[in-house]
Amino acid sequence: MLARLALPAHVVRHSAANAFADMRAIYTWRTWTFGWLGRMLAQVTFFVLLGRVVAGPEHATYLVIGNALMTCVIESLTVVASTTWERTAGTLALLAAAPAGPTWVFLGRSLQWPVSGTGTSLVALFLLGPFFGVTWRPEHIPVAALLVVLTAAGTYCFGLFLAALVLNAGRLRNVVPGVTALLMMAFCGVQVPIGYWPSWIGRIADIVPLTHLLHALRALTEDASSGYVFARAALGLLVGVFWLVMAHLAFESLLHRGRRRGTVDFDP
Amino acid sequence: MTDRATAVETRSLTRSYGTGRRGGSEVYALRGVDLSVGQGEVHGLLGPNGAGKTTLCRILSTILLPTSGTARIMGRDVVRDADAVKRCIGIVFGGDRGLYGRLTVGDNLRFWAALYGLRGTGLRRRCQALLERMGLAHRADDRVDTLSRGMKQRLHLARGLVADPPLLILDEPTVGMDPVAAQDFRVLVDGLRADGRTILLTTHDMAEAEAVCDRVSLVDHGRIIATRAPAGIGALISRYERIEARGVPAEVAAALPDIPGVVTVRAAAGERLRIETEDTSATRAVLRRLVAEDVTEVATSRPTLEEVYLHLIGERGMTVER
Repeated sequence: MLARLALPAHVVRHSAANAFADMRAIYTWRTWTFGWLGRMLAQVTFFVLLGRVVAGPEHATYLVIGNALMTCVIESLTVVASTTWERTAGTLALLAAAPAGPTWVFLGRSLQWPVSGTGTSLVALFLLGPFFGVTWRPEHIPVAALLVVLTAAGTYCFGLFLAALVLNAGRLRNVVPGVTALLMMAFCGVQVPIGYWPSWIGRIADIVPLTHLLHALRALTEDASSGYVFARAALGLLVGVFWLVMAHLAFESLLHRGRRRGTVDFDP
Repeated sequence: MTDRATAVETRSLTRSYGTGRRGGSEVYALRGVDLSVGQGEVHGLLGPNGAGKTTLCRILSTILLPTSGTARIMGRDVVRDADAVKRCIGIVFGGDRGLYGRLTVGDNLRFWAALYGLRGTGLRRRCQALLERMGLAHRADDRVDTLSRGMKQRLHLARGLVADPPLLILDEPTVGMDPVAAQDFRVLVDGLRADGRTILLTTHDMAEAEAVCDRVSLVDHGRIIATRAPAGIGALISRYERIEARGVPAEVAAALPDIPGVVTVRAAAGERLRIETEDTSATRAVLRRLVAEDVTEVATSRPTLEEVYLHLIGERGMTVER
């Protein structure tokens, strides 16, 4: 079993080196901190203040937790756009002609986003949270951090699935993650409780990792039993794995259809 | 399994695409291509844009399925045994496509080596050996973005060789390179030939094809219209002998097309006149007439590969069709 996993892990590791080279080219630590992170903290603050004005100060805690966790979702969904870079770089045909499966390559190829997103969410939760009434007990901190990591990872897997769908429709590469993030903000319990919406929307929201992991995070801050928190976290993890499997099937299907229809070309 | 000495073999290979319109006819990128490339051969595919060269290479690379016919690489079917074929081929592009500009030279190579299953010491040794062979060892830690076009092309070649494949597919490898870099690249290709590797090269560059290929196939409208050694390809149109003359009086030039067997008379560079004839007797008649008119700056020659290409395919080099 370990030997079977060793090769994919090896491919993911080398692919991730590519991801972090992109990250270093896009950001310096200064531009990440004062550009990206500053922007996301401003976004969280904006929604919290807006909620206070519209709905009252008692909602600030709810909003800061949802929007702080949402930052890692937004960044993890960037995988949809960055996966299409393979086509523009002219490397997609080479990947398709290589013996390694595309899923492992793409899994590593955009890993910078969930890692960076995790950092963003942690700063937002632990720095902004207390300003808006969130109290972190020391024993909550590692669990909260784990939930953030799981949210970024699960959303990344969901994003990989979307990326496989968008790879043949490059013009949608920024539209799809934007619209998806908007829908998740509205329907997964970020701005308003899921119960606000008709029940069928709640059932759809259940197939999104964020829904369960955000619920777990809220339960943690409300001192719910650890069993309940871990059960919701496990559900979120399971949904994330489901999307990874779906992404794998979508990438395999994409290349299979590409061979048939001629959509994988030597030229970008 | 086919003959062990055959590296690439296609039989009646056809690839068509629907037009996407209801009732629209199929568009053929390849029509019944039969091609046989021996192991260790450097084989050129020449043809205008849209002729079918790249479609053929995509099928051989396993990223495109043929509509009908068969293609085998080292005896393995590209459709049924695609996984094995992938390990037998290296693909080399020209230009900037196919490299990760933000990665270092070494990381690029290690990434592709990982995709071909190399690990640990084997991976490191293979990458180091290739970097040294391609003259890139001193740039191993530099980002690919900072390399010259010629260096990028050497990295492309190293990437194509990372799995030590017996067959290399080079798709327009010297496009955009300066003459010196292109010449350096051809020397590297000669080295690969000496290794016994089979090379399939698509190019528009006749000089390149003549310099490096053992045989060339002229491709047009999805068909292979001729396969010959570059030196002997003029025999395909041997009835077109060429005479070039300078200082031909206008009235003489106007009269030359009337000589039986003269195919074309046209102005060439350097105030010369180029006359093409169908056979030797026509050539003799033209030479007699020119000498009789005191035209002494005269030369005859066989058609070059470029002229054969232009005769057989025409000057449609920029036409794109699929």
